Amino acid sequence: MNNSSEGINKVVVASAAEEEQQCRIIYIPDKPPVPPHLQPTVNVHAAVIEPKHANTLVRKLNQIAPLEKLRHVKRVRKKSQDGGKNELSVILCLASESDSELDGAPNDVLELVKQYQLSTFVAKVCRYAASTKEEWDEQCKFWPTSYHPPTYNISGITGFSKEDTKSVFGFMKYAVDLARSCSNLVVNAAVIVDPSTKQVISSACDQDLSRTGCKFKTNMETNCFKHEPFTPTSTSESENHQTLFASHVSNLKGLHICVSCLHPWGWTEQQLPESSISWHPLRHAAMVAIEHSAARDRLLYPDSGHSGAEMIEEGYLVPSSTGLPSKRQKINFTQDGNDENLDWKTNALQSDSAKPYLCTGYDIYLVWEPCTMCAMALVHQRVKRIFYALPNPNAGALGSVHRLQGERSLNHHYAVFRVLLPEEMVKDETLVSIISNNYQIKT
Amino acid sequence: MVPDIETFMKFAFHQTKLALDSLEVPVGCVIVGEGNNIVASGRNRTTESRNATRHAEMKGIDVLLDLWRETGFSKTQVAEKFSNCILYVTCKPCIMCVAALSMLSIKQVYYGRANDKFGGCGSILSLHFGDHSKRGFKCQEGIIVSEAVSLLRAFYEQGNPNAHRSHRPPSQLV
Repeated sequence: MNNSSEGINKVVVASAAEEEQQCRIIYIPDKPPVPPHLQPTVNVHAAVIEPKHANTLVRKLNQIAPLEKLRHVKRVRKKSQDGGKNELSVILCLASESDSELDGAPNDVLELVKQYQLSTFVAKVCRYAASTKEEWDEQCKFWPTSYHPPTYNISGITGFSKEDTKSVFGFMKYAVDLARSCSNLVVNAAVIVDPSTKQVISSACDQDLSRTGCKFKTNMETNCFKHEPFTPTSTSESENHQTLFASHVSNLKGLHICVSCLHPWGWTEQQLPESSISWHPLRHAAMVAIEHSAARDRLLYPDSGHSGAEMIEEGYLVPSSTGLPSKRQKINFTQDGNDENLDWKTNALQSDSAKPYLCTGYDIYLVWEPCTMCAMALVHQRVKRIFYALPNPNAGALGSVHRLQGERSLNHHYAVFRVLLPEEMVKDETLVSIISNNYQIKT
Repeated sequence: MVPDIETFMKFAFHQTKLALDSLEVPVGCVIVGEGNNIVASGRNRTTESRNATRHAEMKGIDVLLDLWRETGFSKTQVAEKFSNCILYVTCKPCIMCVAALSMLSIKQVYYGRANDKFGGCGSILSLHFGDHSKRGFKCQEGIIVSEAVSLLRAFYEQGNPNAHRSHRPPSQLV
């Protein structure tokens, strides 16, 4: 008996150690990944020039033929020759893909070519700026470019520390446990986290079938008032999660898979395992989590005469019929309601520092990659980082079908990561069958 | 007399004014069902709810779903009823709303012109035509343009007092 129980302990310890090795977080970039050596190129006209003419020519060319869409490309290429001499080449202008003649070039460029007696040639340069060092190395084999690692400062893009990795993985497990806690359904789950305090701000499961599905922290109070920082890093907890997790996965057989984001158009076909009168086809986990975090915000930072209870009951506030716009501004920004003489602008400075603005600075953990509606909702709500565990080949908007994080015209941008679950889980035949069979790509 | 597009759009604009009175981004909509009746209306409530997904369209959809569920319609019946609905909205729907409307298989959408300042509001993924053409719906833009744009302009000139400091125009940060 002793021997066998020791054996079990060893297995648990081993899997916890393995898990640390296998936990990987992959950044999902703004554009589809291309092998570094297959980056798209464009043709340009170039010419070898005398080093003494370089400054003048570059200045003139930048004026008459600026490389607007090729800002990452260096105008001048320096090649070391035998004998320690350098050969300088300069880009004159863009060339057409088919025609290698200079005829189509701007007249001013043609004049320069004539004036300096340049012999021109066609060169290839990379069309887009490099997003990784590997891409940059390949680009410079064509023509030198400049490389700037992502300018927006979102931590994690360039890698996670061991501690951050543990924390990310812990929150993802929290989300998976939440997804599995909803009676006999497998649904998506969303957990919004403030990474600066490691605090769960709100959490939710898919509620498109029923609003009463989850047994796990369903009521608004637990969603709103989890002031205890969630610490996913302790070893014992991690082991517990691992065991729980494995048993969940092995229990998946015979369950109804009802992940809203995987099948957003299928809400009418979804057979209800239990009768439900409150279904709502748009109440996907991420949408509900956003709603809960907004309710928490209103409750913790009230700005009008409504009581918290009213707000929760209503789901969202009924507009105040009393009060003119000017009055409301004062109420909004004055921390103490009696202090009406204070300038609201001064107060705004103080209240802004404590009061969250939507989900600015927050992370969201989702078991499945969100659909387009949820992904855009997370843009609206100003989420900073999105972590998902499983891709969504049917309707995923963050890499699988669309790539919303790459739409530069949007007014907010988040960083997207995929958290790879431990290998033994992904290998599980039931989980694999959920991903590949139950949700074949529908066109 | 059968009400025309412009009449319904005027009802949508009425919602816009209600939004503006509540210091919300002025966007409004109405949903017209079978028999040319307005079955739901909605306006933007992002500020008061502190939920940036509470767009006019989402509110209109919620009103309809609540109504039809309470009536006791089945999901299939609700889907059928949605597929006969036309949305009139004063601003070009954002990607989130277009995706939601596509899930519900709405029949058609009329909207006022897109506004550059209304960042994020533009169906840049062409969801309603492109790769999901089966779930697409007809879209027509440019209804009562001038009124839509001038109302939005009025709002942004006055500034959104509830926006975060970093989102406010410099003139308000004195």
